[in-house]
Amino acid sequence: MSVNMENFQRFAEAVKQLGSEAPACKLTDEECLAAVKETFARRLTPAMAVQLESCVHCGQCAEACHYYVETGDPKYTPIRKLDLLKRFYRREMSPLRWLHRLYTRDITLDDLSQWQELVFDSCTECARCSMVCPMGINIAEMVLVNRQALAAAHLIPPELRTMAQEQADNASLFGVGSEQFTQMVKQLEAQGLEVHLDREQADILLLTSVVDILLFNDVLAASVKLLNLLEKSWTFSSEGFEAANFGFLSGVESVQKAATERVIRAARACGAKVVIVPECGHAYPSLRWEAANLEGEPLPFEVLAISEFLGRELKVGNLKLKKIGRQKKVSFHDPCKVSRHSGADRDPRELLRALDVDFREPESGGIMNWCCGGGAGVFLINRAADLRQAAFRRKMKQFDATGADSVVLSCGSCRLNFMVGAQRANWDKGIESLVELVAANVVEKSPPADRGSAIQTNGDPS
Amino acid sequence: MTLLEFARGPAMSWALIILVAGLTWRLAGLLLLLRRRDLSRPRNTHTWWGGFRTIFTRFWPHREFLRPTAFHLAMGYVLHIGLFVVVFLFVPHILYFKGLLGISWPGLPNKVVLLAGALTLGALVAFLVRRLTHPVMRTISGWDDYFSWLVVTLPVVTGLMAFSHLGARYETLLAWHLLSVELMLIWLPFGKLAHAVLFIPSRAQLGAWFQRRGVRA
Repeated sequence: MSVNMENFQRFAEAVKQLGSEAPACKLTDEECLAAVKETFARRLTPAMAVQLESCVHCGQCAEACHYYVETGDPKYTPIRKLDLLKRFYRREMSPLRWLHRLYTRDITLDDLSQWQELVFDSCTECARCSMVCPMGINIAEMVLVNRQALAAAHLIPPELRTMAQEQADNASLFGVGSEQFTQMVKQLEAQGLEVHLDREQADILLLTSVVDILLFNDVLAASVKLLNLLEKSWTFSSEGFEAANFGFLSGVESVQKAATERVIRAARACGAKVVIVPECGHAYPSLRWEAANLEGEPLPFEVLAISEFLGRELKVGNLKLKKIGRQKKVSFHDPCKVSRHSGADRDPRELLRALDVDFREPESGGIMNWCCGGGAGVFLINRAADLRQAAFRRKMKQFDATGADSVVLSCGSCRLNFMVGAQRANWDKGIESLVELVAANVVEKSPPADRGSAIQTNGDPS
Repeated sequence: MTLLEFARGPAMSWALIILVAGLTWRLAGLLLLLRRRDLSRPRNTHTWWGGFRTIFTRFWPHREFLRPTAFHLAMGYVLHIGLFVVVFLFVPHILYFKGLLGISWPGLPNKVVLLAGALTLGALVAFLVRRLTHPVMRTISGWDDYFSWLVVTLPVVTGLMAFSHLGARYETLLAWHLLSVELMLIWLPFGKLAHAVLFIPSRAQLGAWFQRRGVRA
């Protein structure tokens, strides 16, 4: 379960260079403002309107935000991050706009540049603030609308602009496109793994992410090993292998749609009934909740996080795990987008219990988990490094209190952020992947007689 | 027409008309916005239940947030319960409602209502001090927050003054009290006081959103 530290350092260097390659903004000031307003008007839903109308400015959301709690800076108060959207709504869309216009300032270009830091660098859309709001305001969802508006005006951090542009232009990330992925498949085969690529028919389409290809190869190998052991009909697709969606992260809607469509095309091509999203937090809601709405129709397949898929296989008895023993003290970090955003927080715990480790549930675990501080692309924004590290202090405190020796994660970006944060703080906790842990402790021979199938071919298994 | 007659008569009628018309306008405007269907496969289909449940569960924070939100929680309850007691359980108010609506209910002794009024005022002052001094509250506050505070506080203060016969003739105090209530009723639909109604759809939206995703929020 080791990570090649040379690759890790090389990756970190590549991230540092990202901003310098960002394409320049070609819009005039007026065009920027118009693009922001047009996006606000198009993306603002009635549910958001009701919630914007309901805020009583109680400030309780601040107490749920890792950036505010660790820095004490009131500018990070989550509801404040919606100020531009709220002002636009009040002036242009509210039933009381004739009144609000008398005392609500219009959005200016200065506001836009200020808000870039607030909705990108200092918000991971973790949605913890939505759990405390007494009015039930879904702040994270509206931060995404702010990101989309700023993206339409080309006002997003240069690192995310570069990544989104690369995904748009070449369907690649960090230079990993179809060709590089095929090379990776060959490397896995050289390790003795049977890898299915571009099969004409398969029940499962397995996705991966650029982070796993460049850094966490063992996670990729573990996923392949598990699907083979479970004797699933599965395939990778060289045209639709990437789960990471920098359109979704950066708010560039056209890139989000194109990246989503590549996966949908690949799934349709092989007739997949299930698409498995790897350990990649944001990729899950991107496909699970956003894709169908982008497509304008329900998806012809089910979307499962790999932890969710393994949890199901465990439940029906297909997946048998060795008992590691209580000498291994572990805790679990919930990826916000999989647990809090998507309700898939139980499967990782079931898997850890089945491994019979000494599982230490952290205080504020599950759907109340604290974000690692690097989600929603923040882990790539260089100028946010200190703020990210401040937020990571909360994670260290949270896990130090458990007494666990290592933290198990099920998200490559979280893992990367943990590694960077731990390195900066000389934090000595182990950091490991759930899928790797499961694959390393799977019972390789199981009697064929009592096998069920966790993947249903008809209807919704949920 | 005396000031009291004006406050009791046309001012109250117009305040009620504006209250109802304003709230209708605001709510209808929100309800008429076009709703889009979510096409993703739901984890749970009973979204209405999640929405309904969340309307009630958000009356109390998750244990996770009890400590950091203790001030708001305590003062919020004192303020809202205090207002309820003062408005609906003070015998002269009940008589007024009987005249207006034709129905009545038992009230509480004056001393209890006086205590509730004093506690309500205390909570209002505490909220104002916090809004003026806490960095987060100062950052997110606008004039609606202060004006809404004022229009809620005035009826409480004038009510206590009228109850205690302090500061002016009783009839004058009563007229001030009625006029301040009317100001609150007129402002309610247009500012943050509308949360008295809006908390229901707002919480329900979030509850339904999370329910669809299988999250018990």
